[in-house]
Amino acid sequence: MNKDLKNTLLNPIFKGNPITVLVLGICSSLAVTVQLKGALVMALSVIVVTGLSSLVVSLIRNTIPNRVRIIVQLVVVALMVIVVDQVLKAYAYSIDKQLSVYIGLIITNCIVMGRIEAFALGNKPWPSFIDGVANGAGYGLILVIVAFFRELLGSGTLLGFQVLPDSYVPNNLVILPPMALILLGCIVWVQRAIQKDLQEK
Amino acid sequence: MNTNSNTYTVIYTTIIVVIVAAVLAFVAMTLKPLQDANVKAETISQMLSAAQLVNDSDLQKMDNRAVLSKYSESVRTAFLINSKGAKVRELNTEEGSIELADNLKEQNYNIKGAGEPNLPVYVFDKAGEEIYVLPVYGAGLWGPVWGYIAFNADCSKIVGAYFDHSGETPGLGAKIKDEPSFREQFAGKSVDVTGTKLFSIVKGGAPEGATGAVDAIAGATMTCKGLDAAINTWLSAYKPFLATQMGASLSQGCGSCGENSGDCCGGGDCGGSCNGSCGGNHQCNR
Amino acid sequence: MSLRQTVDKIKPTFSEGGKFGWLHSTFDAFESFLFVPDTVTKNGVHVRDSVDLKRVITAAMVALLPCVLFSMWNIGYQRNLAIGGDMGFWAMIWFGFLKILPLYLVTYIVGLGIEFTSAQLRGHEVNEGFLFSGLIIPMIVPVTIPLWMLGLAVAFAVIFGKEVFGGTGMNIWNPALLARAFLFFSYPNQMSGDGIWVATRKADVIVDGFSGATPLSQVSGGLDAIRYSVSDMFLGTIPGSVGETCKVAILIGAFVLIYTGVGSWKIMLSSVLGGLFVGFLGTAFGATDVPAWYHLIMGGFLFGTVFMATDPVTAAQTETGKWIYGFLVGAIAVVIRLFNPGYPEGMMLSILLLNTFAPLIDHCVVNHNIKKRLGRVKTV
Repeated sequence: MNKDLKNTLLNPIFKGNPITVLVLGICSSLAVTVQLKGALVMALSVIVVTGLSSLVVSLIRNTIPNRVRIIVQLVVVALMVIVVDQVLKAYAYSIDKQLSVYIGLIITNCIVMGRIEAFALGNKPWPSFIDGVANGAGYGLILVIVAFFRELLGSGTLLGFQVLPDSYVPNNLVILPPMALILLGCIVWVQRAIQKDLQEK
Repeated sequence: MNTNSNTYTVIYTTIIVVIVAAVLAFVAMTLKPLQDANVKAETISQMLSAAQLVNDSDLQKMDNRAVLSKYSESVRTAFLINSKGAKVRELNTEEGSIELADNLKEQNYNIKGAGEPNLPVYVFDKAGEEIYVLPVYGAGLWGPVWGYIAFNADCSKIVGAYFDHSGETPGLGAKIKDEPSFREQFAGKSVDVTGTKLFSIVKGGAPEGATGAVDAIAGATMTCKGLDAAINTWLSAYKPFLATQMGASLSQGCGSCGENSGDCCGGGDCGGSCNGSCGGNHQCNR
Repeated sequence: MSLRQTVDKIKPTFSEGGKFGWLHSTFDAFESFLFVPDTVTKNGVHVRDSVDLKRVITAAMVALLPCVLFSMWNIGYQRNLAIGGDMGFWAMIWFGFLKILPLYLVTYIVGLGIEFTSAQLRGHEVNEGFLFSGLIIPMIVPVTIPLWMLGLAVAFAVIFGKEVFGGTGMNIWNPALLARAFLFFSYPNQMSGDGIWVATRKADVIVDGFSGATPLSQVSGGLDAIRYSVSDMFLGTIPGSVGETCKVAILIGAFVLIYTGVGSWKIMLSSVLGGLFVGFLGTAFGATDVPAWYHLIMGGFLFGTVFMATDPVTAAQTETGKWIYGFLVGAIAVVIRLFNPGYPEGMMLSILLLNTFAPLIDHCVVNHNIKKRLGRVKTV
């Protein structure tokens, strides 16, 4: 793998993370991080959607009429999202129910459209696919970190298995959406403490 | 080629949309049977759980096929009744073509006066005993709550219950599903078909020894209120059916209950509590 | 050697370049706690008031004292009712004192610990702000709250309510209320219900018919459901959060705050008016049969109005803004009480909400004034 491609793959996961640096896709990260399992499936779904739609759009990028560009992109993204949703409904029904509308709402996740506009429209299919997957993964990583703390502190479990002793009193605030925002804030805090160039003057 | 001309744009978008539609139609068609089986299996497993036919940990291990065959094997009959308690039609219980009444939301409107309700009754066989499973449906705090309540053969006792919700607060309202101890309270209770309030979920704890009440979940006032309303609305709709069931086992001692008769039970056991539509009222105790 | 001389003698060790130079904020904090600071303003002076932060907080603490003292007695009194015993006056106070002391210890150790650490890390001076927040926090929680929960809530409030915004004076929300909100949403079982407001000992036997319910938990059932007399509720011999029950003590506090100019009488008055207004609408439209003025003596309405809505940092700053802010605090509190049975106490949520909007209210008031004056210029 050449250096550029490697950079395309690694940059969105930490240094240019779509959630903590670009601040995209916040809404769904608040909603689906109550349990680790849901967050993992959501992360996987977003990776599939961003990867495949970047790939498809990049494949047809030279044929898309400029005036209806956004609509064509939306159609492609919507196709991927619905397919993912249908597959989950068929093969992972209980998780699909838990994620409810948020799978459908991947369509409105700014990361997907953002990467297509910014990257896939101007790059070859393979790098576009890598870029899509990497951004999905960067999103998923934050989702999983937040969900880890929320499930651990809010229910005393991880992936449904009890890990904290019975004497631990679950904290209900952690389960409510505001705490996801505060945890996200903490992650941004930690990241900017490590990466000084991100700090705003 | 000029990709910005009008003709090109129109043709291009048409082709894209047709392709996408074809792909989606194909995906939906292929996955439909699996999805339907999922929905059915979920509804059935909730009923099985309510009827205590399978315990929860075993239920989680069962796949869709196992759940469906368990249903066909243990169900005796399933049918729809109208608001008078009369049977409207049977539901198919054959494995492979199981028919469930999953339009609870619509029936909920019907119960409230939008039309004539067709309410499902599922009769299971548990070691020779008949178990009647009835659905309930209503509004919780954030979305619908629903569930199944299982009765014994003469509907005098609740055997078990199962509740589900679409989006109650995790850790609070969601406990109607997640907290087994809440559901377990229902076993052994009974509903009062004579009063307007058939069953209560009491905030702060049901009185000791109350037969028609259970404790609400602390911190989930609105969800419990919604569930309480759902249970009462639906069981009220089932009232004629429940009364008949209860009456059936009591009718021997009740003799001839004439309509409008003041002393419907002969010996005067009932006192004034027998009302006009006595026909096998369960208050006719021996 | 006097204390002053001792302090002067060890001062160089704690100054920059000294042996314990890194501890200078901690040293400053203690020095200025004991003596008037010896620093004078060197640059341009920006006098807003002749009273400094320390005096403001001292006045506020004096104002809160009656509530603290009464609450000690009431904790003992409620236990006495619960067990049907015959504790003497001093026995009740002693029981209450033993219950309150750990609450204060935990609050101050955790809160000040974090304040000192963060000031130390940033090289700031330690502010006195937490002395008052710390005095209030145990007053607005149920007396039976587990100490570790209280500690956690204080840590949360100080870190996420204050330090991340830049410390005392920079916070958006009232830290004490934030601690309570944290507890309320995190541990609803320990923060609401009927069994948590009265402290008893393990061996105590509760007499039949005693209910630890607060008037607020009864009010949803209408006027008849409230089993406390008006005078009980006014004098505060009812269960409730530690310091909120006695309206007499709160009124004394209000008097001290207004007399010293620390608390704004405009906010207090308009909050009461707002509460009465919505309460009146509620009865007029038949939403409840509880008279509007009942809301003033139930729960934490008065306590919040006097001690927390008036917090100069988080309240509106402009004079017109204070009227709007106060009115909305009272109005929304009663709206929540009347229409959301899930949250019987609306005061906390109402003040936090208005804290959020206070800068916006100020902004609008200032802009309105600017426009008005510009208009005047044009007509001339």
